[in-house]
Amino acid sequence: MTVLGEVALWIALPVALWGTVVSFVGGRFRRSDLVLSGERTAYMLTLLLLVVSAGIIAAFLGNHYEYRYVANYSNRELDTYFKVAGLWAGQRGSLVFWTLLLSVFSSIAVFQNRRRNREFMPYVSGTLLGLLSFLLVVLLFADVNPFERMGFTPVNGRGLNPQLQNYWMTIHPPTLYLGFTAFAVPFAFAVSALLTNRLDSRWIAITRRWILLSWFFLTNGIIFGMRWAYEELGWGGYWFWDPVENASLLPWLTATAFLHSIQIQENRGMLKVWNMGLVVTTFLLTIFATFLTRSGLIESVHSFAENLRIAYIFLGFMGGMAALSAVLIVYRLPSLRSENQFQSFLSRESAFLFNNFLLVGVTFAVAWGTLFPLITEGFFGETRNVGPPYFNSVNIPIGLMLLALMGIGPVIAWRRASRRNLRKNFTVPVLAAAGALGALAVIGVRHSMALATFTIAVFVMTIVITEFWKGMRARARIAGEGMWSALGSLVRRNRRRWGGYIVHAGVVIVFTGLAGAAFDVRMEQELAPGEAMSVRSALGTEYRLVYESLSHSRPRVAEGERENDWRWTALLTVYRDGERVGILRPERRFYPIMEQQSTEVGIASTAFEDLYVIPKEVDLESGSERVTFEAKALPLVPWIWYGGLMVTVGALIGLWPAARVAAPAAARRRSRPGPLPAAAAG
Amino acid sequence: MTALIGGVLLAAGVALFILEPVFSGRSAALYGGDDDFDEGAARRRVALTALRDLEYDRATGKLDEEDYDVLKLELSREALMHLGPDQDFGEGMETEAVRAARQLEDEIAQIRRAIREGMQCASCDHVNSIGARYCGHCGKRLATGAGAAGTSSGGGAS
Repeated sequence: MTVLGEVALWIALPVALWGTVVSFVGGRFRRSDLVLSGERTAYMLTLLLLVVSAGIIAAFLGNHYEYRYVANYSNRELDTYFKVAGLWAGQRGSLVFWTLLLSVFSSIAVFQNRRRNREFMPYVSGTLLGLLSFLLVVLLFADVNPFERMGFTPVNGRGLNPQLQNYWMTIHPPTLYLGFTAFAVPFAFAVSALLTNRLDSRWIAITRRWILLSWFFLTNGIIFGMRWAYEELGWGGYWFWDPVENASLLPWLTATAFLHSIQIQENRGMLKVWNMGLVVTTFLLTIFATFLTRSGLIESVHSFAENLRIAYIFLGFMGGMAALSAVLIVYRLPSLRSENQFQSFLSRESAFLFNNFLLVGVTFAVAWGTLFPLITEGFFGETRNVGPPYFNSVNIPIGLMLLALMGIGPVIAWRRASRRNLRKNFTVPVLAAAGALGALAVIGVRHSMALATFTIAVFVMTIVITEFWKGMRARARIAGEGMWSALGSLVRRNRRRWGGYIVHAGVVIVFTGLAGAAFDVRMEQELAPGEAMSVRSALGTEYRLVYESLSHSRPRVAEGERENDWRWTALLTVYRDGERVGILRPERRFYPIMEQQSTEVGIASTAFEDLYVIPKEVDLESGSERVTFEAKALPLVPWIWYGGLMVTVGALIGLWPAARVAAPAAARRRSRPGPLPAAAAG
Repeated sequence: MTALIGGVLLAAGVALFILEPVFSGRSAALYGGDDDFDEGAARRRVALTALRDLEYDRATGKLDEEDYDVLKLELSREALMHLGPDQDFGEGMETEAVRAARQLEDEIAQIRRAIREGMQCASCDHVNSIGARYCGHCGKRLATGAGAAGTSSGGGAS
């Protein structure tokens, strides 16, 4: 199977190159047979890459340590679960996985459009196949071939980094990669629109769902990553401004900007060049994120440095794509001119535009901070890092402005807002926010950024809820429905708007959760069995932790195998305000093969806060079983996950296909002028 | 060995599948498609969406009558302008532009009237002819008659 996988990889390259060439040639010279051949190539590449991936997984499952990649990321003792995930554990496999996902999305895009948008398709498949060709060239010729053999067969592999031995490993990377690769489709349509000079709003209408799909996966991937960090890295944080986290945030930021700015293009025919720029930038950032993830170009918790050469290849590729796209955009500038002008600073267009500036501003700030070590090394010969203080001081204020815009944008009028419009829509939210600010000040909240976040959060939430309320009421009145069915039909009829509002509400909740970090309480204490420690959270909950016992376990292994890990598990009883609420089992683990330690934290959640227990040190020498625990009371952290879930739901509502109209009805509709196109609900 | 044979078969199968169109002359369409819409249709869609948003904004009290009237006039004029000669219509195609503009005007008028009189179907947006009781599109009962017309303050709310 593994050899077949290797053969399939070699077959894939000429196939992809053929597809790229015939798609472009077929498009240029109107050779429809070549175009069809190119489109079939996409399907075949998916098939071939599935064989390649199966080959790699087979090598992992069969413990074929003659393959360098398998030897570096697996060992006999590893769970099957993680052996399958070995496909994306390291740089080489990740590249294969990325290529596979890209080919799958390419096939879906080709299949979806087999009978529509045909003018775009030759160049769309050409662009996608070109990308696939590039990745295959890299895989085969840039020292990253996953099937590279070492010339000898080690008895066992080096094993998987302990931090990756966590179930999120099977969830977080694939989700992010899905987000990264899905964005190639909008990019391909943008390139096709530029090449064919079809620069009206059609390519945007075609790709909007793809962009939202990519955004959906990116959002989830980022949230899963936060969750993973929170559970696994063991210090109670979820975001480190680590280069790889930043790299996944960058395309998310520009994609978010794009989702907003296309609405101006659709409604007002403005910002066409800007939108093109955003698509290209987002796509390039997904590439950047991909290679940064595994290249070790910048030191990070994610990088298990392997190969710097590939970083330069990818940088060169990004540069080339950026230059090509820029040339195309400049060439088509006459077709990209704006149809309207901004009429007023106080308008929804301005709010969208401002939102875009802020998002792009954050993108630059994050990119600058991420690349700072490289820049200083290049210019001054020494690596300097900027830490979280830099990122926080720049991004928190911008983030708060964005948060406020989430409230302002949806209710301010298009074109120009009159004073009446402003008064009518903002009086209640502003009063509510002021009330919240006052109340928080009275109960003694003094942290300025947290105060600002909570105040703005109340402002936005009031607006979102009012919007829903007004919409339901109007709908109920017009259609004569009950309130709840009015809500349903309201959302059904304009998924994009209401899905967007739900996303906004989710983001507000996430921000509130993030601001909770201002009130973290931590307590560290060494305990012997039977002793207890207490920590009082900022919300006033009194936690008492009783250290009951320590157990040491070594997993049973088959003859001739070593243990993957040794575990010391502490047993703690948790009392919340004097009431026994449960047992926590935080662990220290030692991975003898990798000679690494790791921590499994214990988390006791309520709706409003987490108690987070880290066993920092286990005293093994004296046999006293004394353990140093760090207990943290982290208010509002659960809200980050609730908010994330809400964002997901909102995005799904936006993604959900509008109800299809029955075919005969549709035909009737076409033959007769009059009815509103169903799509107008968008 | 088996892997090698498998590889050869795989390569042959793939090559056959992707080269077949070139030999057999089978081809993919280069133009158009099932539910393509042209630029004019896209414009009309945007204009109608904007008008609907406007109705919604008024229905939810975000806009007052005065602003609503101004914006509606502006939007309608603009929607018509978008179908003017400087769009995709070349020289000598003006008659088509004019026809399209009139059609749009009719559509807008019909929708406005339907919204006012409760003729637009609540579940599928279909605009029914005056006096209809059931939606001609999805068959649902329409909220027509005096009741709906009386309480309607405009607005296909969505």
